Amino acid sequence: MPSPSLSTRNLTIRFGGHVAVNAVTCDFHAGETTVIVGPNGAGKTTYFNLVSGQLSASSGSVIKGKSDITRLSPAARARSGIGRAFQLTNLFPQLSVLENIRLAVQVRAGAGWGLLRSAAALTHLRDKAQHYLDAAQLGAKAAMPAAALPHGDQRKLEVALLMAMEPDIYMFDEPTAGMSLDQAPAILELIATIKADPTKTVLLVEHKMDVVRALADRIIVLHNGELLADGAPAEVMDSQIVRDVYLGTATEETA
Amino acid sequence: MKDSFGTVTVKATMLVIAALLLFAPFLFQDIRALEVAARICIFIVLVASFDLLIGYTGIVSFAHTMFFGFGAYGSAIALKQMGPGWDAVAAGTIAGIAVSLVVATAIGLVSLRVKAIFFAMITLAAASVVLVLASQLSQVTGGEDGITYRTPELFKTATKLAVDEDGKVLRWFGVKLNGKLAAYYFVFATSLLLFLLMLRITVSPFGTVLKAIRENEARAEAIGYRVVAYRTFVFCLSAVVASLAGSVYAIWLKYTGPDTALSFAIMIDILLMVVIGGMGTMWGAVIGAVLMVMAQYYLRDLMGAASEAVASVGVPFLPELLAPDRWLLWLGVIFILLVYFFPRGIAGTLMAKGIRK
Repeated sequence: MPSPSLSTRNLTIRFGGHVAVNAVTCDFHAGETTVIVGPNGAGKTTYFNLVSGQLSASSGSVIKGKSDITRLSPAARARSGIGRAFQLTNLFPQLSVLENIRLAVQVRAGAGWGLLRSAAALTHLRDKAQHYLDAAQLGAKAAMPAAALPHGDQRKLEVALLMAMEPDIYMFDEPTAGMSLDQAPAILELIATIKADPTKTVLLVEHKMDVVRALADRIIVLHNGELLADGAPAEVMDSQIVRDVYLGTATEETA
Repeated sequence: MKDSFGTVTVKATMLVIAALLLFAPFLFQDIRALEVAARICIFIVLVASFDLLIGYTGIVSFAHTMFFGFGAYGSAIALKQMGPGWDAVAAGTIAGIAVSLVVATAIGLVSLRVKAIFFAMITLAAASVVLVLASQLSQVTGGEDGITYRTPELFKTATKLAVDEDGKVLRWFGVKLNGKLAAYYFVFATSLLLFLLMLRITVSPFGTVLKAIRENEARAEAIGYRVVAYRTFVFCLSAVVASLAGSVYAIWLKYTGPDTALSFAIMIDILLMVVIGGMGTMWGAVIGAVLMVMAQYYLRDLMGAASEAVASVGVPFLPELLAPDRWLLWLGVIFILLVYFFPRGIAGTLMAKGIRK
């Protein structure tokens, strides 16, 4: 097997006495889509935050390729090729849809410190941004402020923003959350195009089982911050341990 | 993309204001009007540079007059100590910029990581310290009295830029081509240059990053922007522009003191101008500065005239209410109405209206 594109080694974070992520060791490979499942509060989003840098680890390490990125800022990790989309829509609301995407294109092109050129005149940035908007079927809405988009389109913009960063590692946190059934396929198609590229590593937190089945090459299960199961989708979904975890939460929720 | 009606209105207003300022010495031929025009030029730059912070990046600073003061006192002290030469102007301006840069970098690196409210408090503290220093170090700064000095030969009122055959100063459309005129155009040209520079910055890729930081700091960081570096840089940039504006104003006034360059009253004026004009738009800085400076200079006159007019008609009570001494009351009322009807500032509200419809 080739060397992993991303790994975590004993990755742990404590909030006071509570261990939210506990010694998670896991490798991810290019060309592989890993879905992270687990009940609410299992530490999935916290694990994501540790990998993309919004939280810093209490112990353990995050390794991308050959370099240890555990101590890097979120910005430095993003520039090193880790792209993260958020569970709650997390955009630049008053900026136009095109500007949202251009921000991601700019960072990739190293143009953020350009003070004296008009952004409108930098056609290569604009064209590239437009390309990603078109890919997300948002091309016609380029001039609208992001806040004015309907929820489904905002989720698409979130994915387009991630694609415009052109990362090696894509991290999606419930990309279809809050979307109606007829909107979700558009997002899943976008993720499928990323998945088709063998140089990209995709990590996905998802609850909806049909989404999991459609996209997962591999599933890992987190429970109480610990890695509980790791393997091919069919195998993991059928295992007793996963059933216990999910049935357990189901009874808790009804109680 | 076609501009909306509101945007067209705002841009047309900009052209009118630019034309009025360009021809001010010829259109309004009295000393006071020229003072007002020069002050408007300087405050447009000062307010615009403050708007880069508060409106574009979402940084609240109370130290903007401090940087303005560094520039003004830099020029003033240099002109006083070295005599009225261009070398003194250059040395003073550069010293002002250097001090501004050092202080802005220090404040930025130490405190732009902390919460906005703490940053605002730190700038307030720094500005207070500098204000106290300026009044205490009276050998250098002139204390509360400030400093008067002479400026380069070219800007002296007695200087003749051109003479007619009798050796008298030449007139164009009744305006003497003297040093005062040169000084005004010096102020106008530097202000225009600085304003255009900032205008360009706001539409540059860097400008979009600033707005992104204002809108969603965590997300800007998450897509790869070093937010602290951008914030520190824009804080330094706006400090340098304010410092330059201060230097130019000191050369124009030939006097620098706490009331013209350093007091908190100026800081409050800047804040009001940026709010009235509209945060996050360079046009707002222009509208805010023009309205506020005009009100400060002419509202009292206007009320005096109104009061007399009402009195002569014989209306009771109103003349008292409109007495020129109550101008601050009316200024306050106007502010409240403006904020009520233009919640995003005049330029901001007008331009936003256009987008919705």
